[in-house]
Parts: sequence; C-alpha cells; structure tokens
Amino acid sequence: MSYPPIATQRRSTGIPTGRLAVWWVLASEVVIFGGLLASYLMFRIGHPEWADAAVHTNTWIGAFNTFVLLTSSFTAVLGHQAAERGEGKLAARYLIYTILGAATFVGVKSYEWWYEISHGYTITTNNFWSFYYTAAGLHAAHVIAGAVIMGYIARDAAKNVNLHRVELIGIYWHFVDVVWIFLFPLLYIAK
Amino acid sequence: MADASVTTVEGAVEHHAHEHHGPQGILKYIWSTDHKIIAMQYLFTGLFMGLVGGLMAYVFRMQLAFPGISVPGFGVVSPHEYNALVTNHGSIMIFWVAMPVLIAAFGNFLIPLMVGADDMVFPKINRLSYQVFFVSAVLILASLFVEGGGFGGAWTAYPPLSAQGDYNLSSLGATLWLIAVALEFIAFLLGGINFITTMMNSRAPGMKAYDIPLVCWMIVIASILFMLSVGPLIAGAIMLLFDQTIGTGFFDPARGGDPILWQHLFWFFGHPEVYVVLLPALGITIDIVATFSRKKVFGYKIMLYTVVATGVLSFFVWAHHQFIAGIDPRMANVFMVTTLLISVPIAELCFVVIATLYGGSITLNTPMLWALAFMAEFLLGGVTGIFLGATGADIYLHDTYFVLAHFHYTFFPIAIIGTFAALTYWFPKMFGRMMNDTLGKIHFWGTIIPFNFIFIPLFVLGLGGQHRRIYDFQNFPELAAMQPFRVFATMSLIVMLLFQLVFFYNFIQSLRKGPKAERNPWKANTLEWTTESPPPHGNWPPDQLPRVYRGPYEYAHPDREEDYWPQNLPA
Amino acid sequence: MAENIEQGGHGGDQGHGGHGGHGAEHGHGDHGHHINYKKIYLVLLVLLVISVAGPFLGIFWVTLLTAFGIAIVKATLVVQNFMHLKIERQIAKWVLAASLLLLFLFFAGVAPDVMKHDGAGWENLAAKAVVDAGIDSGEEHGEEGEEHDEEAEPEPEPVVAFAPDQAYSQICSTCHGAGGRGDGAGAAALDPKPADFTLAEFWETRTDADLVKVIREGGASVGKSAQMAPWGALYDEEQAQQIVDYIRNTFVQGG
Repeated sequence: MSYPPIATQRRSTGIPTGRLAVWWVLASEVVIFGGLLASYLMFRIGHPEWADAAVHTNTWIGAFNTFVLLTSSFTAVLGHQAAERGEGKLAARYLIYTILGAATFVGVKSYEWWYEISHGYTITTNNFWSFYYTAAGLHAAHVIAGAVIMGYIARDAAKNVNLHRVELIGIYWHFVDVVWIFLFPLLYIAK
Repeated sequence: MADASVTTVEGAVEHHAHEHHGPQGILKYIWSTDHKIIAMQYLFTGLFMGLVGGLMAYVFRMQLAFPGISVPGFGVVSPHEYNALVTNHGSIMIFWVAMPVLIAAFGNFLIPLMVGADDMVFPKINRLSYQVFFVSAVLILASLFVEGGGFGGAWTAYPPLSAQGDYNLSSLGATLWLIAVALEFIAFLLGGINFITTMMNSRAPGMKAYDIPLVCWMIVIASILFMLSVGPLIAGAIMLLFDQTIGTGFFDPARGGDPILWQHLFWFFGHPEVYVVLLPALGITIDIVATFSRKKVFGYKIMLYTVVATGVLSFFVWAHHQFIAGIDPRMANVFMVTTLLISVPIAELCFVVIATLYGGSITLNTPMLWALAFMAEFLLGGVTGIFLGATGADIYLHDTYFVLAHFHYTFFPIAIIGTFAALTYWFPKMFGRMMNDTLGKIHFWGTIIPFNFIFIPLFVLGLGGQHRRIYDFQNFPELAAMQPFRVFATMSLIVMLLFQLVFFYNFIQSLRKGPKAERNPWKANTLEWTTESPPPHGNWPPDQLPRVYRGPYEYAHPDREEDYWPQNLPA
Repeated sequence: MAENIEQGGHGGDQGHGGHGGHGAEHGHGDHGHHINYKKIYLVLLVLLVISVAGPFLGIFWVTLLTAFGIAIVKATLVVQNFMHLKIERQIAKWVLAASLLLLFLFFAGVAPDVMKHDGAGWENLAAKAVVDAGIDSGEEHGEEGEEHDEEAEPEPEPVVAFAPDQAYSQICSTCHGAGGRGDGAGAAALDPKPADFTLAEFWETRTDADLVKVIREGGASVGKSAQMAPWGALYDEEQAQQIVDYIRNTFVQGG
C-alpha cells in the first residue's frame, strides 16, 4: 500500500478530506472555548464586583493585539490565495508574515502579563483574574501551536509541496483570530 | 496550476512506492499506521484494563461482603484504598475499557473495512491517538501507586473534594487522575476526527449514505456526540487542574467559585457519554441480529433517524444527575420531561431489533446469544432509569445502590456484553481463525447468570436505603441486617470473574489452533467479509477495492437463490 | 457547479492522487478571486476602532453594542470571507452551527444555577457573601483612588485563616443547619438525624473532650453515627475546641 492511503484522496462529501477534518477540529474547539467562556460569562453577570477587577485590564494592549491578529489573518488568507495560484514561495512568505504576527502577539501578551503579575494581579488574586489568565492562556497556547505548525507548512510550501495545507492552517488561524475577537470585548472592553 | 498538480501527483505515487514497507519486526506492531494493528492495540489495552477494573471490583466487593478481612491477593482494604478502588474502577471501566474497545478498537477495525477503504484517512493521526491513549492508561495506573494513594473522589470528581488535597488526601493521585482523563479525551478527539472523516469522505464508489452498515453509522454518531459534548469538560478539567495545583478558586464557594458549575460541565459531557458507548454496542447488536436472523434490518432509515434523535436528545437531559444537588427546581422539571422523553427513541430501537428477529431463521450461536442478551439486559437498565428520571422518585433513590445497579445494567451490557458480541462475531475476520462455539456458550451463560445475580440484590439494597460509596455498612443496624445480599452479590462476582478464564482459554486456543476461517464464515453482506481473513495490509489489492451496489442487509431476497447478497456483487 | 461534476466523476478514478500538488483540490478555487480580502481587512480595522471607541461614550448599552455586536459582525466577516464558509458545502455549516447551538444550550441549562444567586426556594449564600464583600472592598478601594502604584495593589489573599464561625458555616452547617437545629440540607438523607445543638440535654450529656474527639475523629469514635465525618485533617484540637465553644455560645438556648 502506498502512503497516503487511497482513502485520503476520496471525497464522497465533495469537501477535500483535510478541510473536512479541520471543520470537525474547529467544531470541537468551539465547544472547548465556548464552555470556558460561557462559564466566565455566567460568573461575570452574577458577580458585579468583578467590574472592579476588570478595570485593571489594559484596553490599549488588547486592542493592539486584536489589530495584530486581524492583520495576521489577512496575511494568512493572502497566503492561501497565493497557494491556490500555485505560487508556493509567495505563500510561504505570507505564512512567515503570519508567524511574525503570532510572535508579536505572544510578545505583547508576555509584556502585558508580566506587567499585571508584577502589580499583584496573579491567577489566584480572584476568580476574574483566574478566568482572565486561563482563557487568554488557552488562547495563547493555540496561537503558539498554530505558529509552530505554520512553520512546518511554510517550509514545505516554499518547495511547492503540500500547498493544500496552506488553506487548512489558514482556516485554523482564522478560528484563533475569531476566538480573540470574542475574548477582546469579554476581557478588555466590557468593564 | 493543473500541470503542476498532475506532475506532483505522479511524483507522489513514485515517491511512496518505496516507503510503504515501514518499520519491521516488533516495531511493525507498535509503530504501525495500519488501522487493523491500531485496532488490536486498542483492543488488547482495553481488555487488559478491563481485567484491572474487574479485579478492583473483586477487592472492594470482598470488603463490602466481609468487612475488614484480609482480601486474598490484596490484603486489608483501608477506607482510603476503598475510595480509590471504587473511583478508579469507574473511571477505568468507562474511559479505558468501554471507549477504547467499543469505539476505538471496533471503530478502527470496522470503519475502513466496511466502507471499502484501504485505511483511515489520517493513519498517522490514528497512530498518535493510540499513543496518547497509551500514555493516559499508564498515568491512570501510576496514579494508584503515588504517595497518598490513588484519587478517591468518585469518577465524577465533584469539587471541593476533588479540588483540594486537604479534603481528598491524595493531591498527587487526584492530579494524575485528572491529567490521565484529559489525555484520554484528546486521544478520542484525534480518533473521532478520523472515524468521522473516513466515513464521510472515503466510502467505496457507489456507497450512498443509506448503504453504510448501521454499526459504522453508530460509531460515527457516537464520535460526533463525544466531540461536541466533551469540550466544556475539557475546559472544566483545565479549571479543576488549576484549582488543584495553582490554587485558583473556580469551584470554591468561599472564593466566589461554584461547585455546581463543575457538575454541569461534567454531566453536559457525562450524559451524552452514556450514548457514546451505547450506540456502538447497539450497532454491533443490530448487525449481528440481522446476520443471524437472515433478515433485512427492520426499518434501516427509522433506526438511523431514531439514533440521530437520541443523540440530539441526549444533550438535553444532563441535569437529571443533579436533581438533589441544589439545582433550581424549575430546571429539574424541564430535565425530568426530557429524560422521560428519551426513553421513546430507545424503546423504538429495541422494537426495531425485535421486529428484525420476527419471522427470521435464527441461528443461536455465541455472537447471537451475546447480541440478544445485550437487548434483554439493557432493557432492564433502561426501564429502571425511568424511576430515576422522575424527580420525585429520584430524591429517595439518588446515590443509593439502586442507581448503582441501574447504571451497571446499562453499562455492563454495553461494555462487556457488547464487546463479547463483537469479539466473537468478528474474531474470524480479525484473526483468521474460528472460535470454539461450545466454550463460547459456556462462557456466555457463566457470565450472564452471575451478572444478574450480582446486580439484582443491589436493586433491593438500594431500595432498602443503602447509600453508595460507604466503606462499611456495619455501623447501620438496619443495613447490616441485609448483609446476606452483599455476600451473595460478591460470590456471584467471583463466579463471573472465574468464568472469564474460559474466555481467555478459548481466545488463546482459538488463536493458535482454531480452524482456519474462510472469507465469509457467517455468510454476511457487508464489505469486510469480501476480503481475506485476516485482511492484508491495505485491506484489498489496490486495484480491486470494492464497489457497492446495494444496502448492507439484503438477506433472503426473493429473487435470489442464496439467502444473502453481498454489497459488492454487481446486480 | 464544477465541484459537482468533479465529484460525480471521482468514483471511477479512486486510484489517482497523491498528497502533493493539491492546488487543484481547492474545490472553490474559482470562487476565491471574487472576495476582495483587502476591503474586508479594512472594514475589520474600522470596526475595531469603533469597538474601542464605544466605551468612551460611557453609555452602558452602547458599550455592549459596540463590544459584542461588533465582535459578532467581525467574527462573521472573518468566518465567511477568510475561512470561506460562505462558499463551503452545506455540511460544514451544519457542523459549526451545531456546535454553536450546543453552547447556547449549555448556557441556558447552567445559567439558572450558576449565574443567578437565588431562585425558587433557594439562595446561594456563599456567592452573595462574596459579591457583597467584593463590592464593599471595591468601594473602599475606589476611594483611595484609581491610580495603582505598586503598594496600593490588592492585599494578598489571606492564607485561609481559621475562624470558628466560618468553619461552622462551611463544614458543619450542611447537616447541623445554619441555626444549629440539626436541620441542614444534608440532614434529610441522614438517619440518625444530626445533633440539635439548641437542646440543653445535648450539652448535659457530653463533655468538651468528647465533642472535640467527634469533630476530629468522626461520630463512630464515640459510638455515634458514622455519618458524622472525621475532620481531623482540617482542624487540630485547639481549633476543634474553638468550634465547640462557638457552637455552645451561639446556639445553646437559655444557657
């Protein structure tokens, strides 16, 4: 049997197998993040005193990171466009821009956390901060994982190999972006 | 673009021609990406864990029947050991036996064969899934031996008991338990994505949605249920892990947390989980019943829609586990109605099986006996569930042995009877040899009769007011009087465990010396029977992958001489 | 659709393929060019600015709208255009819609218990206490001023100092009841019933040493109900004695 198996190349639903799998991954991620954020939301509405803690999050840093992620999503979709045209080198370059966006995001986030922790707002300060660090941390873990995978894909794409994966990682990346789009108002704007 | 892609495609085929040998020797079995090998890995790990879980049951049942004695092979059971044993018995039986065997082992083995594909769509992810699962199995076993002992806060791990080492006295055990469970979830998410995409996308040419064998449908629907329900619990597991290790207060009421939240997160997953393991067992049953009744499944589409309805409804019932936990009584009413409603589709599934049997020419061999026993015993579990679904009765019965017996009447048929049914039915295909039918029947009766003798007394004890998770009932005079029931249940358990030796003997003997199995020993229709037993690497020769012309249950068709009509035979 | 034709034809040529060169596999490659990514990106940035600017108006519902309304719009734009869901096959939309609907179901089922702190015949005292305490300290904090230099930071959480009244309300009151009458929520399921601390004869028939022993080693240690659990892991003897004193001083009638 050759590898990959014939099974991987069939597509009875009309969606390429890889993309179909990514949709299922996202469906399961939606409920993971959703469970956490729904819990946060219930506490947030039930505990008006959290407003005092929420004041201390930095809207400007949050907004800047939103900008970074939106931009990286933009470069990811441009990468996909390039891959569709078969321009692997260009696609790889866009993916590297996206990785740089991820690095910026994580860098800014580290600074933000360092600042907050050094001012005494740690994960155990109260439940608002517990949710803040848990939700943002889970998201940051996804950012880092996505960037690492994207590195591998960019390396292949530069050699015009596995170009379809540029789209797959792109879909995942946009999802990470969407999660942040909701985290941003939940943690930074609604005070 | 088109040109580029064509050349790469050809290049890829050439490139892979010399890659397929893969690892050799023993590594072939450990490092293989072949779905059949991975199925075996899951199967044997699951059976081993089942043995561990069964022996745990033996130890704590001995303690309950003869409090304070030195249990042969274990020694005196301390209260903390008792808690750890019941907790891990539950966790292991559900997460490391029922799920790996029913979903992962048979899902892996059957789905590619039944849809006529040469492998899973993502073989490497499949391998990763087992590896993660293996690590989780090692962790759960290791958690029993760390300082402070295994986690003893029940398989539901309610905080605050589970959240603080001060309360459960085994902080390391609790953390390892939690990590093991979380890893197990990840393994099944990886596996589930494979099952779902394989069935959706890699069907043999000609195979339409209604030509897929029901067992495939059920395993896939179960995987979807699992995937969509486990998310909140994964989030909850992260929160609980932080409560345990970093000292957050997500579930600590004194710090604004809410232990009820964990119960919701847990049961939002926990109830669909019942159907996650039920559906594969039901699918196995229906396939076996159709084959050995030589009849078309009564109402294929009805069955399928009913299962989908069951799956949807199963998301609406979770809070019936929390009727006395302090949830809002108005919500309890809502959940009571949905809970009672779900018995309608389940009853429908039972009737479909009965209607399939009706008028068939039935062969009562070992797999068929197991399949019929599944329906009979599960029915008892389902009916007793109606008592518990009614809020009024549940206030009295909650957390008694009535719940425990009800639960085992559903899970034992699923995890044990379903597994044996599938194993005896597909054994020829998996290992290329036939099993001994007489020994199989001895094992069957030796399991089923003691099973009922274990759990019927527990119903009585539960109605008598005996609570779960109590180490020693001698302090309660009115419960101590019912000691003979406990002794009887324990004795039955020991008999049942001893009869499993018959199975292991039969399994090993048949594996070594059983008569060689032909391709299609049961004269069944589905695609897995059209290849060799056991199927070669790639299942069929690459140029002879099957094509499908009809549904999977065309038995006793009036126009045909033979009473079966394989899916791949041209009309 | 071209995709359909391709799909219909795939049956016979299953042997084809290989994992390279899937440029051709983009079923919707031809649609992609209709989306003006740059325009979408610019709209997203404008929306971001609005959502940050919203709270400056200081009107509650405007903030909600600019925060969450815009988040939904932004997410929709990204999902539809960047993830190409709008030209994806129906099945993928169903999958995602199902997972989103489940979230609403989860929220609807859980919120009555977790988000609300009272309901039909019940009240979550612990949560209310935390809210009250939080709002009080927040007000004090507010008076001290909004500027947070390093010293004005939240006082470190006390390391769960022992207080007999808290111990009673957290541990004992579940069964013995907030009023010490042996009528707590857990009492319904217990037989024998938990002790009633308001009765004079309870105190006449027991020594302090007995009670300390019961608290630390459980009811069974003095021949009482084993359902009175041992709490020795939580309280040392002195603390148990304090709890006994607290119970006597608080509940005993005419004592």
